[in-house]
Amino acid sequence: MVMPELSKKRKQSSLEKSQLGDEKKKVVSLKDVVGESDDLISSLPEDGVVDSDVSDDSSEDEDEPVDEDEFNEDSESEGDEDLNSEIDSDELEWESENEEEESSQESDGDPEKEDAVEIKSKNGIEKSKIGLRKEGVPGTSTQPPGEDEYAEGDTSDEEDIRNTVGNIPINWYDEFDHIGYDWDGRKILKPEHGDQLDEFLKKIEDPDFWRKVRNVQTGQDVVLSDKDINQIKRLESHKIPDEAFDDYAPWIEWFSSEVLEMPLRKFPEHKKSFLPSKDEMKKVSKYVHALKMGWMKTRKAMKAKEKKEKQKGPQFYLLWKTDDVADEMRRIENHIPAPKRPLPNHSESYNPPEEYLFNEQEMRKWNRERKSLGNKKLHFVPQKFNSLRQVPAYKRFIRERFMRCLDLYMCPRAIKMKLTIEPEELVPQLPSPADLQPFPTTASIYYKGHTDMVRSISVDPTGQFMASAADDGTVKFWEISTGRCLRTATFSGTARCVAWNPSSQMSLVAVAVDRKVYLVNPRIGCQDHIDQTDELLDKRPYQDKVTPPRVEAAVQWEYLSEGELHEQGVLIVLNHFKEVKQVQWHWKGDYVFSLMPDGENRSILIHQLSRGRSQTPFNRARGLVQAACFHPTKPYFLVATQRNVRIYDLVKQEMVKKLITSSKWISDITVHPGGDNLLIGTYDRKVLWFDLELSTKPYKTLSLHSQAVRSVAYHKRYPLFASVSDDMSLIISHGMVYNDLLQNALIVPLKRFSCHDKVNDFSLLNVTFHPQQPWVFTSGADGNIVLYT
Amino acid sequence: MTSDNQSDQLQIRFVTKQEKYSVPDNPFAVPSSVTTKELNDLVNQLFHEGNAAAKKVEFDFIAAGELLRAHLGDHLNKRGISLESVVEIEYLERHPPPEALDCLIHDDWVSSVDVSDFAIVTGCYDTSVHLWTTQGVHKLSVPAHTSPIKAVAWLKTDGPVASFVSASQDQTCMIWEWDVDENTVRCTDVCKGHIRSVDSVAVAPDGNRFASGSWDKMLKIWSLIDDDGESEHKKARKSGISQTKTPQVTLKGHKECISGMCWIDNVELATCSWDHTVRIWDTEMNSSVREIGGNKSFFNIQFSKANNLLATCSADRHIRLYDPRSTEGQIVKVTLTSHKNWVSSVSWSSDRENLLVSGSYDNAVKLWDIRSPQVPLYDLNGHEDKVMCTNWSHSPLIVSGGADNTLRIFKSSF
Repeated sequence: MVMPELSKKRKQSSLEKSQLGDEKKKVVSLKDVVGESDDLISSLPEDGVVDSDVSDDSSEDEDEPVDEDEFNEDSESEGDEDLNSEIDSDELEWESENEEEESSQESDGDPEKEDAVEIKSKNGIEKSKIGLRKEGVPGTSTQPPGEDEYAEGDTSDEEDIRNTVGNIPINWYDEFDHIGYDWDGRKILKPEHGDQLDEFLKKIEDPDFWRKVRNVQTGQDVVLSDKDINQIKRLESHKIPDEAFDDYAPWIEWFSSEVLEMPLRKFPEHKKSFLPSKDEMKKVSKYVHALKMGWMKTRKAMKAKEKKEKQKGPQFYLLWKTDDVADEMRRIENHIPAPKRPLPNHSESYNPPEEYLFNEQEMRKWNRERKSLGNKKLHFVPQKFNSLRQVPAYKRFIRERFMRCLDLYMCPRAIKMKLTIEPEELVPQLPSPADLQPFPTTASIYYKGHTDMVRSISVDPTGQFMASAADDGTVKFWEISTGRCLRTATFSGTARCVAWNPSSQMSLVAVAVDRKVYLVNPRIGCQDHIDQTDELLDKRPYQDKVTPPRVEAAVQWEYLSEGELHEQGVLIVLNHFKEVKQVQWHWKGDYVFSLMPDGENRSILIHQLSRGRSQTPFNRARGLVQAACFHPTKPYFLVATQRNVRIYDLVKQEMVKKLITSSKWISDITVHPGGDNLLIGTYDRKVLWFDLELSTKPYKTLSLHSQAVRSVAYHKRYPLFASVSDDMSLIISHGMVYNDLLQNALIVPLKRFSCHDKVNDFSLLNVTFHPQQPWVFTSGADGNIVLYT
Repeated sequence: MTSDNQSDQLQIRFVTKQEKYSVPDNPFAVPSSVTTKELNDLVNQLFHEGNAAAKKVEFDFIAAGELLRAHLGDHLNKRGISLESVVEIEYLERHPPPEALDCLIHDDWVSSVDVSDFAIVTGCYDTSVHLWTTQGVHKLSVPAHTSPIKAVAWLKTDGPVASFVSASQDQTCMIWEWDVDENTVRCTDVCKGHIRSVDSVAVAPDGNRFASGSWDKMLKIWSLIDDDGESEHKKARKSGISQTKTPQVTLKGHKECISGMCWIDNVELATCSWDHTVRIWDTEMNSSVREIGGNKSFFNIQFSKANNLLATCSADRHIRLYDPRSTEGQIVKVTLTSHKNWVSSVSWSSDRENLLVSGSYDNAVKLWDIRSPQVPLYDLNGHEDKVMCTNWSHSPLIVSGGADNTLRIFKSSF
């Protein structure tokens, strides 16, 4: 019973609300119902039986709505209430409460009702339940149109959904006592309808029978409301079923010429309307440029400017501006402004204070000096005037201005360029001495024993012993590592030079004492070599050539086999005709030269040990020979006279090169073991480094010493060289020679030592490196030899 | 450390390995400027609290592995140790200063010395070998060689006949037998083979071999046992005349003279040379096992079994300690620097692993603790000229010979 009512309500609402297009469908569906009802109505007289049960039921329900709820709570199912039994008890509880409220408040008013409606709209089941509940009160089921429960907007056109059989011909269920299945799959039983008689009785008794229609889906009777009937009637008369619909409502012109805020047109504005115009842009940029350059001014700026000018009043400028700021001289580069004249002082004032005016004495003095050209204190006489008007023209104005112009013209001004180079910057960047290790750093051992100045020292080729020759006529042989004097050989005279034979197979030392050169076997070191040397130099080898008289007169060989000297180890004595200053071995150890500065053209003699003979390599004296040395790699011989060094090829017997030292007096010369570099010490305080490949002029001149340089030496293995000087100092320098011909030697002074005392203006006399270790020996006038390690 | 830090406090805790001196393990707060002296007072005070009868003991303190010689704060700062945490300071009884016992006068420079449990042998530049008792009584003077003696070493000291070897600049080594009771000495063997001055000898620990190094750059190993297994001494004694001995092995490798040598064990031998290298030789393989490069000439080398270090001394005034086994990392373990001139000799203490003595050409003998590389423990003064040799092979006696013709004996009373 309820279901048709519900659907009817929905239909009502939908009819009321829905638009025209939708309504037709509704109408159709409604027509079905109406059609049926028509049938029913038409069939009423046929049936003629009225079912009293229904009205009984309805009256019962009407009387005891609460009871029924209780019934439901007990979840007992009887007859119509079967439907309720399918619903959860919880929901029922809730529903019952709601129902209570609903039933009690239905008449009260809207607010509560709205709640109920809200809940109902949540799902269909609830809706149906409410519908079910209402079946008991069919009389009240017709709600006023204003209280449409679907006022909130239920637009669904669904049919009754309690029966799930769907849209099928309902007569398929005619044979069964149910008309379909509910949501839980239980049968929905057909309601009792009674027979034709009941129908007829109903027809007779029920005044509303004519408006009752049966819902085929549920098989229940629905009472059509007045409105429904009205609607049906309107439909039958082909009118719009909604009574409220105004057929002649005023026309609203949606698409008008008026511009709307939200236009109804679908298409957007044309792209063109968004792009700036090129022409305009050009114009604008022109204006902007003009504004930037100041050619054009905005009105605003013009106004502001005018305003500003008005406010400022008259303009002033600094008259003497050029006094402070250099004039901008356009065409003169680096213009130098003329020097300013001094400002006038008090005495030049037209009204000077009294003390500036000349008194008589000053006046006389000024008159006296008037004619003289010398520096006058004032070149005018200060005068006093009462007012500036009375000041006469300055007589000397033209002249002085002319003189000033003459000064400026005759003495052109120039900017003095000042050198900003620091002296340190001129010194080449040298590596730090710490990076050039190893080199001697301390004086380690003092070899003490000589009583007079030690002129020469020489280290044996193995580096174990050292020989020293002193003015006291002794030659001492030292053990280097301990400073022990192992042997002393005494000679009569001044031992000027000592040279250890560089051959490792020989045990021989050449000592120059006055006019003699002694070849001494020191008898220390390897016994085999000592014996071998003794044997070798036992007697003079056979002379196949007659010694030229020139040589014979210069030197005589004397082989010793006994005597005091022989005891000391002397094997050969070479008697020279002049005092021998220097002896030095060729690196092979067979040749030794002796140098006699006074020997003129025979100042150098070369002695050959193996043949026991001598030769004079030079026929002509080229000057006072100061020093000489063999070349370490080539058959060259270097002779240093006072100013120059000549290099001779001994094989070709010709001069190879002449080095110009530009110094006054050479003291010592030594050749780098590589053979291409030369070190020369001079008495004029300089050490000269020659690169033989480079030029005949010094590659470097080292002015490290403050007094005459006595001796220079290269190390055989390490890139070191040393020089000693009369200023009591030994200077050790790093002298790296590169194999690369393009790279010049690197020379770095490393260390200065002063370990010797000054005796009779002499201090250090000789310097020698240890052959293997980076150690250096110096001998001094104080009789000491010092080893630096 | 600046003066404002002087007042800083730092936390220290004392530890010791000498149980008899142990003190409570509490941390103390001391000013960072504290020195050994204050710490010493502190420890003594603590020590007295526990043991009232105790005598005052001088202690040395080790912080960060090195003996404390400056302000504690400076000491720790230099080694980059945080002063925030508690610093553990080990203390140990200070090595008492050695006393000068004796001065044995020679006729010439004393170039070498070796000490046995009862006697001292010295080599002298006057070509003679001198025998002394450890009490300083001169027993014998042996005119042994024809050139200055450069090295001596005891071969055998047990029994009535002691033997020693002497090496000289006359290119020979001589093996001598000394009949202690009769006080007679006899040369049993003359070892010929070197062709230049022999500068160093070292006897193997088992006494069967000795090695000699020379200026001829050769290392020669000599056997003391005959092929028959009979000691050559006995054989020589039988024959009654000195025999000429030839080397068992000659090893070539050094580029300059061999200046010092020592045996690491019965097989391995370490030599040092003027060519700036230390070589370790395997005498069974007869080859050089390892080469340690330095940058100065070495003069002497000594090996310490206790801490497995080679001590070398060289021309640049430093004593350097090398680990012969390690090949990677820092080769020089410790550098002891205080001498002012060449260090001619070093000698490890025979019973104290951290102590060594060194003699230098600056006339000083110094006693070192290797945990204190900057400051020696004691300077043993007395020599008036270059110190040529030192020896500490028998514990209480530190002997040193020098160019002042004396052999000085110090007693380290430990």
